Amino acid sequence: MDPTRETVMIRELARTSSSARRRPRRGLGLVAVAGALATVVGVAPAAARQAQADTLVIDRGMDINSLDPARAYCDTCQIFMTAVYETLVGLAPDNTTLVPRLATSWESNAAQTTFTFHLDPKATFADGKPVTSADVKFSWERLKGLAGSASYMVSTIQAIDASDPHTVVVTLTQPNSAFLAQTNGSYLGIVEQSVAAANGATADPTTDKAEPWFLAHSAGSGPFVLESYEPGNELRFRRNDAYWGTKPAFAEVVIKETPQAVTQRQQLEQGEADIAMQLSADVASGMAGPDVSVQKVPSYNFVYLALSPGAAGGEGLTPQVRQAIRLALDYHGLVDVTVGGAGRPQASPIPNGFAGTDGLAEPTQDVAKAKELLSAAGVTNLTLDATFPSLNVYGVDFSTAMQKVQADLQAVGITLKLNPVEISVWADKIGKDGIPVTMLYFAPDFTDSSQYVQYFGLTTGSQWQSWSKAPANTQEADQLSKAFAEPDPARRAAVYHQLATMMIDDQVIIPVVNPDLFLAARSDIQGMHYSVCCNLDLARLSRG
Amino acid sequence: MNAAIAPTVEPTAARRTSRSARHRPAWRRGAALAGLVVLGVWIVIALTLPWWSPHGPRDVVGPRLRPPGRHAWMGTDALGRDVLIRTLWGARTSLPVAVIVIAGAVLLGCLIGAVAGAAGGLTDAVLMRLVDITMAFPPVLLAMAITASRGPGIGNALMAMVLVWWPIYARLLRSQIVAVRHREFVESATAVGASPLLTLRRYILPMSFTPVLVNASMDLGQVVMLTAALSFIGLGARPPSPEWGAMITEGATNFYQWWIALCPGLAIVTVVLACNFVGDALRDTFDVRDTFE
Amino acid sequence: MIRYLARRVAVMPLLLLGTASMVFVVSRATSGNPLVSIVGARNLNNPVIVAAAKQRWGLDRSLPVQYGRFMINLLRGDLGTSFSTRRPVLRDLWDRLPATLELTIAALVLGSAVGILLGVLAARHRNRALDHGARAVGLLGSSLPAFWLGMLLLYLLYSRLGWVQGPNRLNARVRPPTRLTGFFTVDSLLHGQWSLLWQACMHLVLPATVLAWGVVGIVSRLVRASLLEELSSEYVRVARAMGLRERTVVATHALRNALLPTITIVAFAFAYLITNAVLVEKVFSWPGVGSYAVEAARQLDYPAVAGVTLLGGLAFLLTNLVSDIAYTMADPRIQLS
Repeated sequence: MDPTRETVMIRELARTSSSARRRPRRGLGLVAVAGALATVVGVAPAAARQAQADTLVIDRGMDINSLDPARAYCDTCQIFMTAVYETLVGLAPDNTTLVPRLATSWESNAAQTTFTFHLDPKATFADGKPVTSADVKFSWERLKGLAGSASYMVSTIQAIDASDPHTVVVTLTQPNSAFLAQTNGSYLGIVEQSVAAANGATADPTTDKAEPWFLAHSAGSGPFVLESYEPGNELRFRRNDAYWGTKPAFAEVVIKETPQAVTQRQQLEQGEADIAMQLSADVASGMAGPDVSVQKVPSYNFVYLALSPGAAGGEGLTPQVRQAIRLALDYHGLVDVTVGGAGRPQASPIPNGFAGTDGLAEPTQDVAKAKELLSAAGVTNLTLDATFPSLNVYGVDFSTAMQKVQADLQAVGITLKLNPVEISVWADKIGKDGIPVTMLYFAPDFTDSSQYVQYFGLTTGSQWQSWSKAPANTQEADQLSKAFAEPDPARRAAVYHQLATMMIDDQVIIPVVNPDLFLAARSDIQGMHYSVCCNLDLARLSRG
Repeated sequence: MNAAIAPTVEPTAARRTSRSARHRPAWRRGAALAGLVVLGVWIVIALTLPWWSPHGPRDVVGPRLRPPGRHAWMGTDALGRDVLIRTLWGARTSLPVAVIVIAGAVLLGCLIGAVAGAAGGLTDAVLMRLVDITMAFPPVLLAMAITASRGPGIGNALMAMVLVWWPIYARLLRSQIVAVRHREFVESATAVGASPLLTLRRYILPMSFTPVLVNASMDLGQVVMLTAALSFIGLGARPPSPEWGAMITEGATNFYQWWIALCPGLAIVTVVLACNFVGDALRDTFDVRDTFE
Repeated sequence: MIRYLARRVAVMPLLLLGTASMVFVVSRATSGNPLVSIVGARNLNNPVIVAAAKQRWGLDRSLPVQYGRFMINLLRGDLGTSFSTRRPVLRDLWDRLPATLELTIAALVLGSAVGILLGVLAARHRNRALDHGARAVGLLGSSLPAFWLGMLLLYLLYSRLGWVQGPNRLNARVRPPTRLTGFFTVDSLLHGQWSLLWQACMHLVLPATVLAWGVVGIVSRLVRASLLEELSSEYVRVARAMGLRERTVVATHALRNALLPTITIVAFAFAYLITNAVLVEKVFSWPGVGSYAVEAARQLDYPAVAGVTLLGGLAFLLTNLVSDIAYTMADPRIQLS
């Protein structure tokens, strides 16, 4: 065994056994054994009630990749980051309005290249030290330097000026009207420089050694601090008793690894858990009783079909054929089959509710027109490979959805060869040869429409332009630059509206279902919500 | 060496007074017969299903998630497909897979075992170390490692299971050859100039046939179970295909609709139980000493 | 004997290195792309992020270099860092092993106890209803898919009837006992935390029963056979002739001898249990090595896959060795050479 690792383990053991001494330790004599039954019967319920009063238990399939703020990138990470590290700008419960958090105010220049934030002088980290502009500079430079998955949100940062401890001036390499929304994304949380640096954090991937430390400790200013993390088992938070804002209601929060929706439901019904947010429509629909409340809220997540004319075997996907496919799908049937009707179709790759989506027409099925288009194009007996990742995301089972798509397309004479594979295999295949027809999902990282254009639009080098190998759409690139340079939200929305229409006309990305989210909780939990930036803000929850 | 890492059944070299076939009670014969009948029924179903099945395995027959009733005897699943019909169609995946895996493992294993046993010396040592390495894995782990890296799917699961199963047969055949090699009739056959190949074919293989057969019949059930297990953890057949393990996975996501998982589970139980009954009877009939399952 | 054992032990590291090489070859000869679980599907096209991830996890090196590093680290006792948990694989295994061991040992104890009981009953009532019944119970146990049985029982006994505690090792509201052994039952006992002990047992009982059932048949069959053999032996006939009651004969004389060979299969049964624990852990959200293995396999977490397979291989080799030793001890006629 590696000697250093061994000492780590020994230290670990020593630590745990010394903390054991703090607990009242009863003897192991016969008396104690005799008293055991009485203790079990008498004390256990009281102890359970006691614990129940302060500890919030959330059941989740955790997908945590890291707890290092510069590396974390996952749905549960959003909850973690929001609870432990604070962003400069917060998001109001309406999911659109930006509100002060670490920064009391902010402004940008007309060109959208310089952003200035004024920090709240009251803000302190969990150890009592003030949050300064140097911490902001350190956090964001490290996020960018380590090039973790969330680093794309700070890729436009050119320089950060921290000469005044309470003022942060960020200069960007290009206009970026989405920057404020990005700073509101939970991944741009602020880390205490002195603590992180003391534990090996740098902005250079070759010298940074801090990740192991961040998996067991935190250095943030948020309402909670990290208590402990056991991958695949539980993530435990403790209330930050020195929190500079309104202190949260719960003294302790546990996120328990519970991958299966049915188990989440069972535990919620039995009172072992307080919150479950990953229930599918089928599982949630049977829940009833006075102890549990289930809310159905619209989400910004969606599952889409992607057509790649440039993929090997996708040559038959001409614009007419793609339009026919779009017309052949039974959108409401898809919503029924995948999520039991708890969702809706979505017009464009920018989900309903984001800037620019007002007034977009919902897609509709028109089998006759689809057939007409196909026969006009002289297409008969088209067979397409449909390799897709076998996932179950947001309650949508991909193989269920793809089977429905297959049936719909069969009706107009297009045959899909379904091939469900593990996502790692799928990624390899789509990166190399491309896949003519496939399915994937998307969830927003922040509240700006630009992320959709950058990912789905056919701007050169975008994710789907390179995956679909469809010819680049230069108009989209121009419009996106225009949106990035546009300071006025209303006019920006108009540009995004145009972009949404263009992306619909590209007919590469066809959203099939925008599922609702089921927020299930014990009835005494107050403040259940779903946030775009942060998933679930633990500080807003209480037991009443 | 290797005194005790024993294959499932060992050849007749009994160290214990054998319980002979004389005491085999009627109940056991009945069980064996029942096992044969059940297996026979499944085979007939698998072979003839396309001609009489009212629906295909992917046909939607009614509303989704309907409990057992008149329209679908064992209810419908999340897509409104008939669970019973799908279970029957599942036999057309699970049974051929099991047979192919066992056939592949027996062939590969016997070949390697025969070469090792006949050649002896370095070849034997190297081949047997290979057997040791492979057998050092719990089957599920090795099959998981292989299917995970080859990519999930029934084909890769099949390959993985052959790779997991062959060493048992290699060891079985080799030990048989080693045991028999110095018996008088073999030695005299060699003495009168019979070629090694002839000796192998005429004297050794027939003697090995029985333990291989017994082992294979018991393993058949185990393969059905492992196939389902691999599908259950998402590494074998994938949901659209009506494979039993995959169907149980669908049942697990729709846990409160218990009928979805019940039917494919019962199918596995009947096949495995039947294989065990038959294997058990074969073992008694041929008086092969049973060690461990 | 000693020399034989020494040789067996000496060969073990070589076998493990062989298995490690095999795992490496098998897992890299793959069509999968582990990057998707490292950087996420969203960033697969971001050259900066992908390059950083490849560099960090050593995936930018050629395969021979990767293999060399893997083997050198392995020889130094370093199994590498898991892509998905970002912690040393050894640490992950260390954290998760007790959960799996607690489950399998509980199942082993339970399965052997029931198996021995059934075996004795079957032998004493040979070829009568009880014998057949015991055999049927055993056969059924080895024919039921453990994951399916677990699901059904969880539905029935936990969700519907509430007789047992549900998935996981403890109720999420309570803190696990401070780790001494990592076995929650043992640790809570040592700390005198009785309600925790009760809860840990109630969580353990269902998965352990499901696992144990598969072992019952193996044990009962062997106990039955060896007890029958003992009962027909000379000394038992003498004891009976001396007028000892049948119960005494069986309990004090025959059973003791009959149980000796059973030791040899405990090792085998343990291997069976570890195999099935992988599936049962998934059904019961049990945070053990099995669920770690499944996740590692699905995410193509190379270091974790290698670590788990090596651990499994080591466990298998050790149990086989123990089984061999027990074998010779139980039956002096067997010579290991």
